[in-house]
Amino acid sequence: MNKLKSNFRLIAAALPVALLSTGALAADETIAVFTKNQTNPYFQTVRVGAEVAAKSMGAKVVHYIPTKPDSIPEQLSQIEDVIVKKPSAIVFVPVDYKAMVPGVEQINDAKIPVVNVTDRSAGGKFLAFVGADDYSLGLETGRYLLKEMGGKGNVVILEGVKGSLTNIDRVRGFNDAIKENKDVKLLASQPANYQRLQGLQVMENLMQSHPQIDGVLAANDAMAIGAIEALDGANRKAKVIGINGTKEAIDAIKAGKLLASGDYNGFVQGCIGTMVAIRSLRNEAIVNEVVLKPTVVNASNYQPYDVPLEARTCPSWADAAAMATKAPTKTN
Amino acid sequence: MSLAGDVSAGTPRIHLSKDMQQLLYRLLAAGLLCVALSVATDAFFTANNILNVLRQASLLFFLASGLTLVILTGGLDLSVGANIGLSACLAATVIKATGSPALGTLTGLASGCAIGICNGLMVAKLRIPSFIATYGMLWVLHGVTYYYMAGETIHGFPPGFRHIGSGYFLGIPIPVYLMIGFLIAGTVFAQRTVWGQQIYAIGANPMAARLSGIPVDRRLILVYAFSGAMAGVASIVFLARLNSAEGDIGEAMTLPAIAAVLIGGASLFGGVGSVFGTFVGALILTLVLNGMNLLAVNASWQPLVTGVIVIFAVWLDMVGRKRS
Repeated sequence: MNKLKSNFRLIAAALPVALLSTGALAADETIAVFTKNQTNPYFQTVRVGAEVAAKSMGAKVVHYIPTKPDSIPEQLSQIEDVIVKKPSAIVFVPVDYKAMVPGVEQINDAKIPVVNVTDRSAGGKFLAFVGADDYSLGLETGRYLLKEMGGKGNVVILEGVKGSLTNIDRVRGFNDAIKENKDVKLLASQPANYQRLQGLQVMENLMQSHPQIDGVLAANDAMAIGAIEALDGANRKAKVIGINGTKEAIDAIKAGKLLASGDYNGFVQGCIGTMVAIRSLRNEAIVNEVVLKPTVVNASNYQPYDVPLEARTCPSWADAAAMATKAPTKTN
Repeated sequence: MSLAGDVSAGTPRIHLSKDMQQLLYRLLAAGLLCVALSVATDAFFTANNILNVLRQASLLFFLASGLTLVILTGGLDLSVGANIGLSACLAATVIKATGSPALGTLTGLASGCAIGICNGLMVAKLRIPSFIATYGMLWVLHGVTYYYMAGETIHGFPPGFRHIGSGYFLGIPIPVYLMIGFLIAGTVFAQRTVWGQQIYAIGANPMAARLSGIPVDRRLILVYAFSGAMAGVASIVFLARLNSAEGDIGEAMTLPAIAAVLIGGASLFGGVGSVFGTFVGALILTLVLNGMNLLAVNASWQPLVTGVIVIFAVWLDMVGRKRS
């Protein structure tokens, strides 16, 4: 009992300080952040970005993540939960850009402001869209590899999950980069479903039928690193690129094993998405669309990525607004 | 049913020849696949590629061989993939924390085995249907693993440890030796020991098995423990091969493992199947992927091709066995 009382006193003493440091509005702003799964490190970067942004602006974040990765019914039922709990705003990554439209409409009907992050929803009303462009990510990362190869040689593509939006655009970007180089030959384009083990096995198989592979374009980092293991195991060398800029990829770049990784900027997406949501609640100017420019992380520029996620800082609002593809607007 | 009769009463010679006949039909599909691929591409029938296929099949085989025993009893273990995920992450943590691959390996095996024993207790003692018990376990394990890993990966292990997955001895990959070892041990255990025969008997007719004095509960716990332990083995080889652990590594392996057992001639009703059959099943699934990659089959067609070949292989086996 005594302990409880002293705890209470502590909290009571700390409360005014907290209020002072975060501003009076902070007390009841809760941002519900929806992401696709707990397994892909990318979404962890989005979540941490959202947390860092919310913390710096004095708001709270609650995460909604399907326990079964990318489960449509689960995300739909989480939306229903959230409509009952009424958070101040929602930052939303749809598990499926088409199938979640009815869910978004439910959020719209409940009049909860919502920001769309990462995968552009096919419908529904959003304050803003914040994402990266998979096509230019594939194109730029592919171009970097081919330039490092001197514009000639044999390459293979490791595709992600057939039919997923990210995969279609990334592979299209890869292919267009290859078409720009007449002396580059595409030996095979095979699916490894974004899986590390399949990346390894498919690469092992491709090495059997192709004695000379100079470059590997993998649609995500896990497959790229699987492919590197396969190359190492066979004592063969090839330049490999991945996409996502994960911690593991940065380590592999530092070790000289991975040439580069196209950064999808999940952290910044989480930051800006959350900043837009909170700013709209405070009737401050927001932007309607931010499509981040691709960054190709390589041995010369990995340093800013080589810090723990929690220690990174969000871009300032001025920088974020400068990235906007449409003119800033004022909310009502 | 009939097999259980053979098991308890048949003379050794007849037993062997019938087994051999069935094995031949099971190998037929794999053989046809090999012939077709040899004709289609020069890259297939090379020593390198054969070793490559065997090494790739080994991971699936580890998982499927333990599962075979469970399916022989008429049960199912849906938690093997999730088991690999958690066991690999725990083993990776221990290796990172202590720097000792031996401790890490022990952790992975112990974790796999402990999960298996929990499954066995639920099935044998609480009488929960194995599908539900292990399906529940799958979610429990995913929940724990995803929470524990929080989307992170653990990577970079000592070269000595990596040797288990990526090393060679006399030009043959270490996982292939492990696979042959478990193939022989599993076959001897299932076909030539009293416990193995009791497992067949339980699957063929649990009531008769109980009445004839077989300690059914203990044998059930044993097979789930084996299945879990083999998932532990798979998790260690996986870590050593991939040099990295993440929460969902086993996710994509559960169904192929079950498929390998069934393609290998086992029945979901229990009492029928063999570890060698499962080996052939794992080989067929691996050959399909290998062949599609070698021939560079268009990505859009690959799932269709896989499905057709799996159905065809099982149909061939059934027709063959009816004729005999």
